Amino acid sequence: MARVSEFEPISIGVLFSETGTTSVVEQTQRDAVSLAISEINESSGAGQYALEPIFLDPASDPKTYAAQAEKLMAQSGKFIFGCYMSSARRAVLPVVERADALLFYPTLYEGFEFSANCVYSGAAPNQNSLMLADYMSENFGERHYFVGSNYVFPYESNRIMRDLLVARGCSVLEERYIPLNPGVDEIDHIVDEINKLEPDVIFSTVVGEGAIKLYQRYAQKGQARGKSPIMSLTTGEPEIVEMGVEAAEGHYTCAPYFSSLPRAANQRFVAAYRSAFGPQAPISACTEAAYFQVHLFSEALKLGGPDAILHNLPLVEYDAPQGKVRVDRTTQHTYLTPRIGRVTPSGAFEIVYDHKATVRPDPYKVEPEASGWSRFVGGA
Amino acid sequence: MAHFQLKSLRDLFVVVAHPPDPDSQLVMQQFKRIGCRTEAAWPIPRDLPQATDILVAAIGHDHHKALKSTLRRAGARRPDVIALADYENPAMLELMLDLEALAVISKPVRPFGILTNVVVARNVSLTNKALVSRIRRLELRMEGQKKIAKAKAILMETQAIAEEDAYKIIRAQAMTKRISIEEMADAVIYAHDLLSGRTSAP
Repeated sequence: MARVSEFEPISIGVLFSETGTTSVVEQTQRDAVSLAISEINESSGAGQYALEPIFLDPASDPKTYAAQAEKLMAQSGKFIFGCYMSSARRAVLPVVERADALLFYPTLYEGFEFSANCVYSGAAPNQNSLMLADYMSENFGERHYFVGSNYVFPYESNRIMRDLLVARGCSVLEERYIPLNPGVDEIDHIVDEINKLEPDVIFSTVVGEGAIKLYQRYAQKGQARGKSPIMSLTTGEPEIVEMGVEAAEGHYTCAPYFSSLPRAANQRFVAAYRSAFGPQAPISACTEAAYFQVHLFSEALKLGGPDAILHNLPLVEYDAPQGKVRVDRTTQHTYLTPRIGRVTPSGAFEIVYDHKATVRPDPYKVEPEASGWSRFVGGA
Repeated sequence: MAHFQLKSLRDLFVVVAHPPDPDSQLVMQQFKRIGCRTEAAWPIPRDLPQATDILVAAIGHDHHKALKSTLRRAGARRPDVIALADYENPAMLELMLDLEALAVISKPVRPFGILTNVVVARNVSLTNKALVSRIRRLELRMEGQKKIAKAKAILMETQAIAEEDAYKIIRAQAMTKRISIEEMADAVIYAHDLLSGRTSAP
């Protein structure tokens, strides 16, 4: 990194957990940021600037996130890339707002938020729940079962999904919540209830370790397994590796990105990521969002320097692994391409639905359209 | 009981009556994000745009009178007022109370909290409207009951009959004449006043 000294350094705080309940995904986000920064620095991609990351481990704990964000602000950092759970984002935002800094948040979330000091690059509900509701109601039965982790994202996601499904003539048999770190008993209680109710589809907003345990127990004890799939917005490639292919096979996830996407930009990204972090390293939509938002940032930096990032970001269109992405000026959320993947016996996602166009982010949408997209845009 | 349906959020028409500055700009932008139709109105217009649901209004002595008369002219179509306030001193608070503001957005404006304020204000306003119309219904009913009691008393006294029979007579007459029992009671009271030489209306 000798050449870095010739450039103007831009300090980048990176807040992803290497330990704790959601570390499985967050480590991949950390790695993606690290990869993007090396790519940019090695190719002088940010013009006269060099990105200098400071990596911290907030350990999946909101209070630690806030404390570490304070620390980064004190070190004159103006940019933070980080956060997975909404509770972490909500802890970091006040710190970032006080310092008039900028948080780049690369994770899907429940919507209904705007901070002038945040750029959101994961999916808003109108970029995933809508498409998943269409797919679920058109390809499976009418009886649905909801299970989620006990925090804000699952509650709001379930409210939205319930409205969407009811508008499509479906019913929700039960809506259950389990702790973020559930015990075996709590998971078994859910699987037993699924066995008793025999729903056609299970919509799961269980995240992190809980999701891994849930899929594993469902594979071992679930009588409807094979017939009633689990649908998720969050279960990605890293979770699949963790839970094992036997537990994941046949289940579905809706996301703007899967590492199996046959795009040239994606193949380059996957090759670079795996050569840096191991040939089997799993890559999910959250990983990809963490990666492309650093590139969006560096393009905006090149256009007008560190003080004009927010002004220039919406002018940048970047060919991300998922396709073209762009930040919407009004909402500071990102145009993304929704897709649905099904886990194959090899553990990869087979794309069963591709929206084939970006969807404008609409984070304040209370009631998404009752009629489905997929009736107008054919699935893959 | 919630009277406001979140689903109707995007049907709301919001007018922002505030001098154009970064704060009012932020408020307008946030309403745009939420998805409400939004218009700026400054100086205070004589009449608000048709079908204004929410008026986000600057609080200040200079334009207070104009704001009050604009709201008065709106009559039954008076919008819900949300104050956009920069001071908390009693003089300013009095203006805010005088406008019957249902919620407050404080300056400097932050996007967070605007949606919550709109939802709370709208719900309070709809709840108030429902209560007022309920009170009106109850008042009318009470008025009617009083008339019926008086008419019954007249019949009981003049005809020397029991209360129950007096009521049956009033009801039967009301049905024959196809009018309400309250109207029939009115007629009894009026006739009695007339026959007994009294001039006061019931």
